[in-house]
Amino acid sequence: MESKEISLEMREYLISAGAQTLDWCMQCGLCSALCPWRQVPGHISESFYIRRMQRLGQLGLEGFDAEEVLFACTTCGMCQVNCPRQVKIIENVRSMRSTTVEAGFVPGTLRSVIGSLHANGNPWSGPREKRMDWQKGLDVPAFTPETEYFLFVCCTSCYDPRSQRIARSVVEVLKRAGVSFGVIGTEESCCGETVRKIGDEELFKKLAESNIELFRSRGVRKILTTSPHCLYTFKYEYPELGGEFEVMHYTQLLAELAREGRLAFDGAAGRRVAYHDPCYLGRHNGVFEAPRLLLQSLPGVELVELSRSRERSLCCAGGGGRLWAEVPRGERFGELRVLDAEDKGADTLVTACPYCIIMLEADCLALEKNEKLKVMEISELLIQSLRE
Amino acid sequence: MDKKLAVYICTGCGIGEALDVEALAKVATGEYKVPVCRTHPFLCGAEGVAMIKQDMEAEGVNALVIAACSMRVNYDVFNFEGAVVERVNLREQGIWSHPANDEDTQMLAEDSLRMGIVKARHMALPEPFQVEDLSRTVLVVGGGLAGLTAALDAARAGYKTVLVEKSEVLGGWVSRLYRQVGVNPPYSELEETDIARRVKEVEENPLITVYKGAQIEKISGAPGMFEATINHGGTQVTERVGAIVLATGAVAYDATKLAHLGFGQYANVITGEMLEEMAAKGSITRPSDGGPVNSVAFILCAGSRDKEHLPYCSTICCTESLKQALYIKEKNPEAKVYIFYKDMRAAGNYEFLYQRVQKEGVLFFRGEVVSIEEDEGKNLFVEFDDVLVGEKIRTEAVDLVVLATGMVPTTAIGERMTIKAETDEKGAQAEAPAEEIIRSNILNLEYRQGPEVPTLKYGFADSHFICFPYETRRTGIYAAGSVRAPMDIPTTIVDATGAALKAIQCIELTAKGSAVHPRVWDLSYPEFFMQRCTQCKRCTVECPFGAINEDEKANPLPNPTRCRRCGTCMGACPERIISFKNYSVPMIGDMVKAIEVPEEEEEKPRIVVFACENDAYPALDMAGLNRLTLSPWIRVIPVRCLGSLNLIWIADALSKGIDGILLLGCKHGEDYQCHFIKGSELASYRLSKISETLNRLALESDRVRMEQVSIMDYDRIPKIIEDFASRLEEIGPNPYKGF
Repeated sequence: MESKEISLEMREYLISAGAQTLDWCMQCGLCSALCPWRQVPGHISESFYIRRMQRLGQLGLEGFDAEEVLFACTTCGMCQVNCPRQVKIIENVRSMRSTTVEAGFVPGTLRSVIGSLHANGNPWSGPREKRMDWQKGLDVPAFTPETEYFLFVCCTSCYDPRSQRIARSVVEVLKRAGVSFGVIGTEESCCGETVRKIGDEELFKKLAESNIELFRSRGVRKILTTSPHCLYTFKYEYPELGGEFEVMHYTQLLAELAREGRLAFDGAAGRRVAYHDPCYLGRHNGVFEAPRLLLQSLPGVELVELSRSRERSLCCAGGGGRLWAEVPRGERFGELRVLDAEDKGADTLVTACPYCIIMLEADCLALEKNEKLKVMEISELLIQSLRE
Repeated sequence: MDKKLAVYICTGCGIGEALDVEALAKVATGEYKVPVCRTHPFLCGAEGVAMIKQDMEAEGVNALVIAACSMRVNYDVFNFEGAVVERVNLREQGIWSHPANDEDTQMLAEDSLRMGIVKARHMALPEPFQVEDLSRTVLVVGGGLAGLTAALDAARAGYKTVLVEKSEVLGGWVSRLYRQVGVNPPYSELEETDIARRVKEVEENPLITVYKGAQIEKISGAPGMFEATINHGGTQVTERVGAIVLATGAVAYDATKLAHLGFGQYANVITGEMLEEMAAKGSITRPSDGGPVNSVAFILCAGSRDKEHLPYCSTICCTESLKQALYIKEKNPEAKVYIFYKDMRAAGNYEFLYQRVQKEGVLFFRGEVVSIEEDEGKNLFVEFDDVLVGEKIRTEAVDLVVLATGMVPTTAIGERMTIKAETDEKGAQAEAPAEEIIRSNILNLEYRQGPEVPTLKYGFADSHFICFPYETRRTGIYAAGSVRAPMDIPTTIVDATGAALKAIQCIELTAKGSAVHPRVWDLSYPEFFMQRCTQCKRCTVECPFGAINEDEKANPLPNPTRCRRCGTCMGACPERIISFKNYSVPMIGDMVKAIEVPEEEEEKPRIVVFACENDAYPALDMAGLNRLTLSPWIRVIPVRCLGSLNLIWIADALSKGIDGILLLGCKHGEDYQCHFIKGSELASYRLSKISETLNRLALESDRVRMEQVSIMDYDRIPKIIEDFASRLEEIGPNPYKGF
């Protein structure tokens, strides 16, 4: 067999594109072992090994750019938080993806996403002018310089009918809690978190810069997000571009209010609730307690832990652009979460991320467990017990 | 010595409740007519000890049989100057491992007392061997890091030291290094070595005599009285020294044997040693054209962990190569550096160095080198089977390939001679296990067993790796540094200190007439009844420590200060002319004979257990401590080492009607655990010869069994004994019972 030529040029390119910790990797393989893909069978599981992908990157060898390898990572962060060498594995993945995306090669499923982001400022092919349609029938305050929090609603909850319910219930809860908040409107663009993970650095910059300018011009200082993905990018990536804001996930603020006794809940119907930690709220942002505190403050709710929770939570498979990927049944991580919740005797699977909701709900339906197990966003459960 | 016996039976720790002490005392007073026999409820207490002292003064007793706990405890309490003390183990191996108030336990205790009494009857007080004109000077051979450190440490402790260095300058390998890897936190920076300071301190120290450009022509004598003849620039000097530190280090593996890696074939393939030399001179260039070096491939394990070359790991090559990679990177951060390894073994704190080198952008490859090729411009390409990619890969052109060669100890270089026993006068071949000595021309010992220290299979000095790493198999000669095992700079420094202290310890113990490790309290030494010697040479060949020389007529010439007092010579001697004042063939033989063997119809078989005092005997004690029940048929006799087992004891036991003999000793062979290196191996070899004796007696060879146990194996001991007992049951009783 011909031996492969090392390409120091490709390697240097990757490092300059952001894979600065590529060389720190000592190839121990803990990353591949911890990868959620090991939990499922199938073609991707058999072809995608994050350790090997890093190795190919280190040597600038071809092979990392095969579509099923390059775009398999859900950026769940399980490998990264456990890496004994603190390699920023997700940044390395991002930079490897950027080598092909910037050359114009994008997987079919992601082409419309990128196109829509360019054209409409959201990945869902929704017209910009309809961004605020989720508010119909709801009196949502507009953000003014006097407003304390700017509420940034994830594109998914702006356009996806199921997800719009999340935005609405978040608004209702915030209002009931007496929080000073408001939204800006159709000028808002996608936060860009996912498209950056996909590898389109240019597009991310474009979206982020337009948002930063908009937020600044409106006098935004504090941001509340409905999605942990927006939270992540506002908090950790916007400052690179000069966008310094105080950012919180809405559950963090509500938990604070509940702790201070400024938000009290009435009895909800007796429920046995399993909580799924979204990767971006938990591992990426370190928020484990706030949602649990809210759930525990609901009378009549019994909180059960999934067998993998908190730092060890298993990804729903929706991050890193995988939300739009086609994965055969039996190979979806979300199915394992649904089965785990069922196994724990839960009747409700609660989470706090619009992506997780899409993935888990689809998997619950596919497994025909939707009669037994309800998938809910935490605000939906909160508002139920506020209404009663 | 005129002896008056006394027996003391302790009834404390439950002994009095579990045994019929009165009946036990009758064994002493009735059977053996011991003039003084007393019991005490707390013999190790002040009152008990005072009672014994009182008897010594008032009654003049001077041979004390203490029937109480194991000899391994309270040895300081039951230590009476001027008296022979024999301990009878009624506690650990008596009532703690056998049921209380049981006929068989009583019989066991009575037999134990009988054995103790007969042994005490034979024992005499050792008279320590005194060296005339003992020298307290330490000889250090080798003036590298280990030798310099050992010399300085010995001198700091106030001992005169003689340092012999072959080359004209001190400092050795370390003095040729450009930099050393950081020995201080963060362990990832390169540092200057401190070898020049050590050289200066040695040269200025008034207690240290340095011979440079010198070679040892011969060393005769023994600890406390070695005579070293040193050839110093053509003239001979003689130094009388007490102990020796062997610190001659290692050399790099001969790269000319690594043609498959391009050495000698391509000009730009060099060794780590050559790169170090270039770095020290200030410029690293391509040997082919003197051009600059912008890309380097380091090949680790070049000839190491390789069956065709050095099968072992030299521990430092990974770290040294990481260091050299930094030489390149510090000169030119853009330089391309590749490191090809089998396993990255950055021992000690050098994982920090490894991480730093990774972060400097050095590329690491795990797997096997397939080939090294050269183009017309003398650039090199490495083809490599990379296990991390799972495919063969090829580097871009590199200017230099550096082979990280392993360490060969200086003791490994020279003609190998196998020491074998010669045919004895009866014509029988005494095929004791052969051993190897390499004529490395370092110590040139005038020892019957050969001129250098015995080595293990890779040429490193043989020692008990776990317990006594510095002790070579030549008493008073302590190896330190990479001549002992491959090691890095910090380890070498610690090693040198350890060996220097061992040398001092040896001198001081020798001055007292005591053995060195592991029998440091032992003042006895073997005495030879020369009139009956047949010059068979077994003792001179089998001594694991080369303690016995020979004269031209093959008479043994013992050197008591070289002796470790294991008694291997005593076990070897077919004429049984070798004995210690407190340990001899008739002494143990009489213990065997003192065991009462019940008639066949009583169905009480007897098993004699010869247990090595170092591991097996403590394991038996631990079995008792853990209250494991042992077979009532055993009678345990501690031996200094199974090497001291004389076959006559087996004949004695079998002819007396003992049903079986169990030998419990240390693991032998590769990774041996024997405290005296060869003792258990020799015992097993001698045992293979026993069938002849058994056949002569018309007995089954299964009646004798040897088992290897370590101190941790106490939980296995009941089963080992049970298994043997059930085998004996199958064979049936010894037909010699009652004869």
